[in-house]
Amino acid sequence: MSVTVEFTYDMTKALGETRISLDGVGTVREVVAQVRDRFGAERGEEFERLTHTAAVAVNGVLVNHRRGMKTPLADGDKVSFVKSASGG
Amino acid sequence: MIKGYAGRILEVDLTQRTHRFVPLDEDVARLYIGGKGYGTRLLYDRTEAGVDPLGPGNVLIFATGPLNGSVAPQSNRFAVVCKSPLTGGIGNATCGGSFALGMKKAGIDLLVLTGSSDRPVRLDVDGDAGSVDFIDAGDLWGKGTYETQQILGKKKNHAVIGPAGENMVLYAGIVSNERIAGRTGVGAVMGSKRLKAISVTGKRKLEMEDPEAFRKYTKDVREMFKDHPVLGESMKRFGTGAIVNTTNGRNILPTRNFQRGSFDDAIKISGEYMEDHELKGVKTSCIHCPVTCGRDVEVEGVGRVKGPEYETLALLGSNLEIGNIKKVSEWNYLADDMGMDTISLGATLSFAMELQERGMYSAGLEFGDPAGVSEMIRDIAHRKGAGNDLADGTKRMAEKLGGSEFAMHVKGLELSAYDPRGSFAQGVEYATTNRGGCHVQGASMYMESTGPITINPQSLKLKAEIPIVQQNLACAINSMVLCIFTTYGMVPKAGHNLDPNSFLYKVITTVFENSGPMMRTMMSIKGRPMMWFEKWLTYITGENFSSGHLQEMGGRIFNLERMYNLREGVGPESDTLPHRILYEPTFKHMKSGHPLDQLLPRYYKNRGWDAGGVPTRRTLDKLQVSV
Repeated sequence: MSVTVEFTYDMTKALGETRISLDGVGTVREVVAQVRDRFGAERGEEFERLTHTAAVAVNGVLVNHRRGMKTPLADGDKVSFVKSASGG
Repeated sequence: MIKGYAGRILEVDLTQRTHRFVPLDEDVARLYIGGKGYGTRLLYDRTEAGVDPLGPGNVLIFATGPLNGSVAPQSNRFAVVCKSPLTGGIGNATCGGSFALGMKKAGIDLLVLTGSSDRPVRLDVDGDAGSVDFIDAGDLWGKGTYETQQILGKKKNHAVIGPAGENMVLYAGIVSNERIAGRTGVGAVMGSKRLKAISVTGKRKLEMEDPEAFRKYTKDVREMFKDHPVLGESMKRFGTGAIVNTTNGRNILPTRNFQRGSFDDAIKISGEYMEDHELKGVKTSCIHCPVTCGRDVEVEGVGRVKGPEYETLALLGSNLEIGNIKKVSEWNYLADDMGMDTISLGATLSFAMELQERGMYSAGLEFGDPAGVSEMIRDIAHRKGAGNDLADGTKRMAEKLGGSEFAMHVKGLELSAYDPRGSFAQGVEYATTNRGGCHVQGASMYMESTGPITINPQSLKLKAEIPIVQQNLACAINSMVLCIFTTYGMVPKAGHNLDPNSFLYKVITTVFENSGPMMRTMMSIKGRPMMWFEKWLTYITGENFSSGHLQEMGGRIFNLERMYNLREGVGPESDTLPHRILYEPTFKHMKSGHPLDQLLPRYYKNRGWDAGGVPTRRTLDKLQVSV
C-alpha cells in the first residue's frame, strides 16, 4: 500500500520536496512519525515548529473530523499538512 | 446631519449633462448605513422594473459610508451599485484604492449617474466649488486603465474603465489606482453610459461625534492588527495568496474548470512562492491600511505592477492548470489594464477550454497551455473574434454553445475560488447570495475550510445558519464601507495558536458546530459595541452599533436586494449551484456533490422566507424593508 504525503510550503523548503510517497503506512500517526524521522532527531524542534499549527488532512478531510491520528489509510490516499490561511 | 456623512448626494444626468446636489436622507442612512446598503435603496427606488442594464435607464451609483474618509485601517473603499448586465439582478462591487477618500473630501456621500452620453465623456468634480465639468474623453477612449490614470494625473482621485468597460464586456470592472470593483459588470454599465472616468477633488474633513475616542481607539486597533497572525503577519508577508496551499490541501482549489479540488503545482502559484521568487520591493496597500496585502511583481515588458491575489492565482492558475506565476501575473496585469474581473475571466477561459476539449467550440485555448491566453484577454476586452463570445461570460456562452452542466456560475456570476463540495456553508452562500456566486458576500468558508478554527465542512450542521450571519455581516461591512478582510481579525491570536490536531481543538469545533440557535441569538443581541468596526461607527456617528444592530441592518439590506432580484425576475429558481457542483464528487468518500437540496429549505426558514424562497410580509415589516 502506498500513500502520497504533501507538505506545507515551509516543510517543503525544509525537506526540499513538495510531496513524497510512503509505503506500508496504515494510519495517519505512522505517516507523521515517518515525516518526523525525515527531519531527524537534530531537527526535531524545527519539525515541531513547522507542524504545530498545521492540520493533517486525508484526501482533503481533516483527520480531526474523522478518527484523529488513528485515521486508517487506504492505498492511493493523499495525506496533506495544511495550515490555516486567509484569502480574498 | 449625522456625523460621518458629508450630507449630500451628487446626481449627474449624462444625457442632459446637468448635475445637482441633494441632501442625504438621514432616515435612509439610519436604516441602510451607506455604501452598498444606501446604494441598493436608491437603485430600487430610482429604476423601473425590467430596465435594460446597459441602457440609459439604469443608474450607476458610487457610494461611500460613514467610515470612509477616516484613518481607520481598511476603510478606504467605495461601493458601486447598479442593475447587473451579467445577472440581470442586483449588481454591486466594492473597491479599494483612493476614490472613496476623494469622494468624502469632495463632500459627496453618493454619486448617482443617470442617462448616457452620446459620446465619450469624463467627469471632473470639484466638491468645494460644487462644480461638475463634462469633458470630452475621445482622447482617452481605448486606453487602458493604467495609462488613463497616468494621463489624468495624481492631483485628483479617479475611477476609470478600460477597453473592457467601453466595449461592455459583461464582467468589466471599474478601477481606482490598482484596485478594481470587479464583480457583476459594473464597468460595462459605466461603458454603456460612455463615461470613461470620474475625477474628484475637495478639501473637506470628516466630522466625527467623538474624534478623540476614535483617535485613541484606532491607535489601539493598529497595534492589535500589527500583532495579529493574519492582519499583521500572513497577509503582510504573503498577501491573500497564502491561502493557495490551504485550499489545495483541503481539496477545494478549483482545478481544470472545477473538475478537481487540488493541483499538483499549487505551491508554484502560492503567496509564499511569490514572496520567495517574484516579489519586488515595497508591498502596496489602500490608503491608511496597515495590512498591505498588495504585492508588487515584475511583468516582462511592463515593469513593476500589482501582483495577483488569491482569486486570480486560482482562477487564472490552477483552474486553467497553469503553474506558472509569471504568466498569471502577466494576465492579472492585462485584465486590470483592460479593466475586467479576473474571477469571471478565469472561469470563462476554463469553460472555453473544456468546451474545446469536448469538441464543442474552438477558441484556440487548452488546459495547461498558456499559449493564446494573453491574446484572448485582449480580444475579450475588444470583443474581437472568439473574444466576443467569451466577453458575455459562461452563462450566455452555455446558452449559445451548450455545456451548461459545467458552466461554473450562479445567477450568471462565475464562482469564486472555493469549491463548495468541500465547504458546504460556502455552497449555500453561493446559491443564495443576491449578486450570484461570490465569496466576499459572507466568506463562510473561513469558518469551515480555511480559518484557524473550522467546523466539519461536510456535515450538515450549521451550514444553513453560518451563511445568514455572514451575509448579514458582509452587507453591513460593505455599507460602512470597510474591507471584508477586517473580519479575519475576529479570531484572536490564541485561536491561531491552537493545535488543529489536538483534542481541545476538537472539543471547541464540536461545541461550535452544535451552537446553531445559540450563535444566532448571541449575534442578534443589541448591546454595546464590541468589535472595532462597531466602535468606530459609534464614535463617528454617535449612534450605538453592536453585533445585533449590524445583523439587523445587514439583514435589511440583504432582504431589499432579494426583493430587487424578485422584481427583476431573478427568482428562487436561481438559488442553485452548477450541475457539476451538485452531482460530480471530488472527494473520495462522496457519492455525489453538494447537498444543497437538504440545506436550502432550512436556510429559507431561518431567513424568515416562505418555503418558495420569498421573504414574508412579516419579515419585511420586522426589518422595515419597504417595497
